[in-house]
Amino acid sequence: MEEEDKAPDMEAWERAYADDRSWESLIEDESGLLKAGDDVQQQRQHRRRLIQASGPRIQRGIIRYLCLILDFSRAAGEIDFRPSRMAVVAKAVEDFVREYFDQNPLSQLGIIVMKNGIASVVTELSGSPEAHIRALKSNLESFGEASLQNGLELAHTYVQHIPSYGHREVVIVFSALSTCDPGNILETVKKCKAARMKCSVVGLTAEIYICKHISQETGGSYAVAMNEGHLKEILLEHVPPPAAMPDASSASLVRMGFPQRGSEGAVAICACHKELKIGGGYICPRCRARVCELPTECSLCGLALVSSAHLARSYHHLFPIPTFDELLVDASLRGKSSFAGSCFGCRIQLSGSGSLRLRCPRCKRDFCFDCDVYIHESLHNCPGCETLQEEAVT
Amino acid sequence: MKFVIEGLTVYFPYEFIYREQYAYMVELKHALDARGHCLLEMPTGTGKTITLLSLITSYQLANPSLAKLIYCTRTVHEMEKVLDELRRLHLYQEKEIGSSRAKILALGLSSRKNLCIHPVVSGETSRESVDAGCRKLTASWVRAAAETNLDIETCSFYQGYEKQGSEQPLPPGVYTLHDLRVYGRQRGWCPYFLARQMIQFANVVVYNYQYLLDPKVSGIISKEMQKECIVVFDEAHNIDNVCIEALSVNLRQNNLDGASRNIHKLNQIISRFKETDANRLRQEYNRLVEGLAQQGNLHGSDNWLANPVLPEDILREAVPGNIRRAEHFVAFLQRAVQYLRERLDTDTVVKEGPVSFTTTMSTAAGLDQKALKFCYDRLHSLLLTLEVTEIDEFLHVQTVCNFLTLVGTYTRGFSIIIEPYDERMPHIPDPVLQLSCLDASLAIKPVFDRFQSVVITSGTLSPIDLYPRLLNFNPVIIHSFTMTLTRDCLCPMILARGSDQLPVSSKFDMRSDPGVVRNYGRLLLEMVATVPDGVVCFFVSYSYMDGIINSWNEMGILQEVMQHKLVFIETQDYVETTLALENFRQACDCGRGAVFFSVARGKVAEGIDFDRHYGRLVIMFGVPFQYTLSKILNARLEYLRDTFQIKEGDFLTFDAVASSLRSVLRLFVYLYQRQAAQCVGRVIRSKADYGMMIFADKRYNLPNKRNKLPQWIQSQLREEHLNLSTDMAVHIAREFLRRMAQPSDPQVSKSTLLSQEDLEKMAAMPNF
Repeated sequence: MEEEDKAPDMEAWERAYADDRSWESLIEDESGLLKAGDDVQQQRQHRRRLIQASGPRIQRGIIRYLCLILDFSRAAGEIDFRPSRMAVVAKAVEDFVREYFDQNPLSQLGIIVMKNGIASVVTELSGSPEAHIRALKSNLESFGEASLQNGLELAHTYVQHIPSYGHREVVIVFSALSTCDPGNILETVKKCKAARMKCSVVGLTAEIYICKHISQETGGSYAVAMNEGHLKEILLEHVPPPAAMPDASSASLVRMGFPQRGSEGAVAICACHKELKIGGGYICPRCRARVCELPTECSLCGLALVSSAHLARSYHHLFPIPTFDELLVDASLRGKSSFAGSCFGCRIQLSGSGSLRLRCPRCKRDFCFDCDVYIHESLHNCPGCETLQEEAVT
Repeated sequence: MKFVIEGLTVYFPYEFIYREQYAYMVELKHALDARGHCLLEMPTGTGKTITLLSLITSYQLANPSLAKLIYCTRTVHEMEKVLDELRRLHLYQEKEIGSSRAKILALGLSSRKNLCIHPVVSGETSRESVDAGCRKLTASWVRAAAETNLDIETCSFYQGYEKQGSEQPLPPGVYTLHDLRVYGRQRGWCPYFLARQMIQFANVVVYNYQYLLDPKVSGIISKEMQKECIVVFDEAHNIDNVCIEALSVNLRQNNLDGASRNIHKLNQIISRFKETDANRLRQEYNRLVEGLAQQGNLHGSDNWLANPVLPEDILREAVPGNIRRAEHFVAFLQRAVQYLRERLDTDTVVKEGPVSFTTTMSTAAGLDQKALKFCYDRLHSLLLTLEVTEIDEFLHVQTVCNFLTLVGTYTRGFSIIIEPYDERMPHIPDPVLQLSCLDASLAIKPVFDRFQSVVITSGTLSPIDLYPRLLNFNPVIIHSFTMTLTRDCLCPMILARGSDQLPVSSKFDMRSDPGVVRNYGRLLLEMVATVPDGVVCFFVSYSYMDGIINSWNEMGILQEVMQHKLVFIETQDYVETTLALENFRQACDCGRGAVFFSVARGKVAEGIDFDRHYGRLVIMFGVPFQYTLSKILNARLEYLRDTFQIKEGDFLTFDAVASSLRSVLRLFVYLYQRQAAQCVGRVIRSKADYGMMIFADKRYNLPNKRNKLPQWIQSQLREEHLNLSTDMAVHIAREFLRRMAQPSDPQVSKSTLLSQEDLEKMAAMPNF
């Protein structure tokens, strides 16, 4: 009896390896040692995304209202991603939400879940990452069919009353292969297009025609995840603010408040939780209401509340640092003194380190792959260029 | 782009050319230079049509002695596509060398049904009724009568054509059927007769196979084509069947009943004529004494079908005395119908050769062979004399005469089979008398003999050496091209075992095994849960499909499938299937996903392509062997063995593999979807379609079946995709779909394309 119970476990254990086929990515180098995959190839892969994202300096939509539609239908319970598609999606979404608010402090986000043929709101459009993640984690179960139409309709009502300067975006994370709709989804797509909603889809299984259609019609993107890492990667592609839509409203002034931090130990009734809170908090400059977190909208007077740090953090999207050029390591150049040298960021030896050699087009300094990632994704300043400026000043 | 192949300047309307297209052109040019026939296999969807057109029209420009290009297609839809491509090519040529040199006249020709613009007649539904409606308005005697009597209706378009159009040629250009209709409306000319007139002057003619292969039609339409023509049969993989069908006749009870009615009516008309206009009948008698050949110069609108036998077999002599008089001929027909009726009334299967059939016919019913030969022409002449315009009512007697003429003319290559009932349904009496042609080379022989170069081409001609034997000709070039894919967008798999590791097959002794049925069901179920949008399943026959769907329904598999995708089933009813297909497409478009169950040899869904998301996966359940107990098939196999030394097994496997392939390949029409409009600015968007095919039968794993797949599929069929079980197939499918969903690298697709500079470089290298 006991043995019978164990048998399926064994199979599942074996299948985990059979499905991963991790041995296929092993590579044997010249000396017969096994390496896990081709480093340089992976680095190039990573950089390709970066290069694609960087273009000429363009107007970007900094104030975004993004509606995340998650598919928790029966298909999300499949286990081709471990432990299940749903769990993997939840994890990736968590990262995405944090990263999104980190890079877009002026933006808001809401989560909708599709299951059992209907779409339901998990969190309203708001600015607090923790609240979204908490709500999502308490909502993890999958059953029934997915209905893209219901999801889009709900998102449509959601974004209808947001101000015209905001960028309306929908990101659908879709596990299922089909959608069970109450009506004609093509009509809904037209409606979304008319409402200037940019709908992007992240698929987990295969390319689906209707998803492609939705993203093409509304100007969004469509990608299908190969594996867990790839899923995260393509989801994070939605983090940087998109180019402003051509027919978006012309520049206009947005009224914003920069609240002061309340003194420690002060006791006040919080406007967002409607309960007594001690310490911290921010005071709305117009109506003096206390809010817990920034950025948000004052729940009394409706003023957008941000801090100056938020604005500054959004700034780099408008003036990005240029992508570094890859220098091909030519065999003839190797060993020449001009080509030796180390990374300007971390001082690691560049030749023979298994890293790409990347050069900033402005200051002509070389960097290693890790520093390149750090500079472009977190620092948003080039150390080489900054020192040049300093030298110029002194 | 413009480039030179061995001294010939070729104009190609795109900026890039695929390697295999270039290779195809080189081989084709060799064949044209040698003035011989050729057989070329190139993967579907690689732009065969434009390659052919561009080389041949360029060849025509360089060699004005060439008469014309005759391009034969299977369907009207394909015809329009060819003409569209040609128009693009023509525009390009005009741009390159000026409109005066690049002058061509190209047009499509189809039946009256597709070309008629008469407001009433064109509304008719069937081909025959449109033909008859046209004759009612345009027959010479009707128009003669209309000159004196204004109440008689004629067709204004035909009158317009007759007055002016027949003299003036069409301005040069490319005319699709639609263009012809528009032009006809503008000028008030009949497009059908205009087109028929103009094919004499055209450089490129696009029409159906029948216009060359079926002697009944080709006798009228293609009689005046010069020898220096290039004939192209596109999508010619079942050309042998077309040839055979052109010379085969089936007679059933209702045909004979209808023929009797027709004969009765003819009798009435004859007696009426005798009273009013006996002179006419006498004139006809005199004409027949002089021989049928005399009636060659009939008026254009009066001839509708020529003799069903091939041109060189028609006798140029006088009609025998016993059928010269109208009443004698009708009595002769009556006896013939009576005799056939007696033959049909049998309860055993009878198989006979034409010789013994005519011998017994003449002893039993006094119908001599010589008279039989003339039946069809005699009937034709009689209907003209009697000024019958409702030819669609006389179809049955025409079929009978068609049969009699063929039986009387040919002694070899045919067989007559009388079956009292369908073998598969022995309880329902359905006697049928079949005159079946066994030799495909008969019908196509005149084409090979008459024209300088005949090009037979298709995506699947494998095994390519069988075709010359089947069609009995000597091609100067035989070549099978592979394709250069930008990525592995084709994923063929051979599934030999179910999820329980037991073999699956549609073999007769296994097909009703519940284990096999369940395994097939599980396969479908797993696949619909893995593959997005459209899935198409092919079964070996209608009865097998009905059986398996029933069992799946009982096992609850169908209900589970429905959770993932909607299910549509092909039936033998045309309207029903069209509706099912339409809804299938809709379900795929709106994201619900759908499965279509079809039959490998099904006539209804034939010619419908499941491209892009409509066919991400095709599953072929079983090997679609022909029904081997069929008498006709056996007769044909025997004939092939005795005459061409083709082994039965070889032919059957070839046929089965070919027909399963043809079903499966319908999804790959647009492997390379080349959109000319998007070639702007030297950026080519290679939107590569992709799809999977599963051959679910252990017998596909045998080398004798596998080797019959075309080279370009075999090259995609990897070792690890053979002999799969269901779960392995699902795994491969999942990986494949994920891989294909990734955006394709534009850098890679560039490497399979050649630009003008590449070609010039290649030309500079002598050893390419």
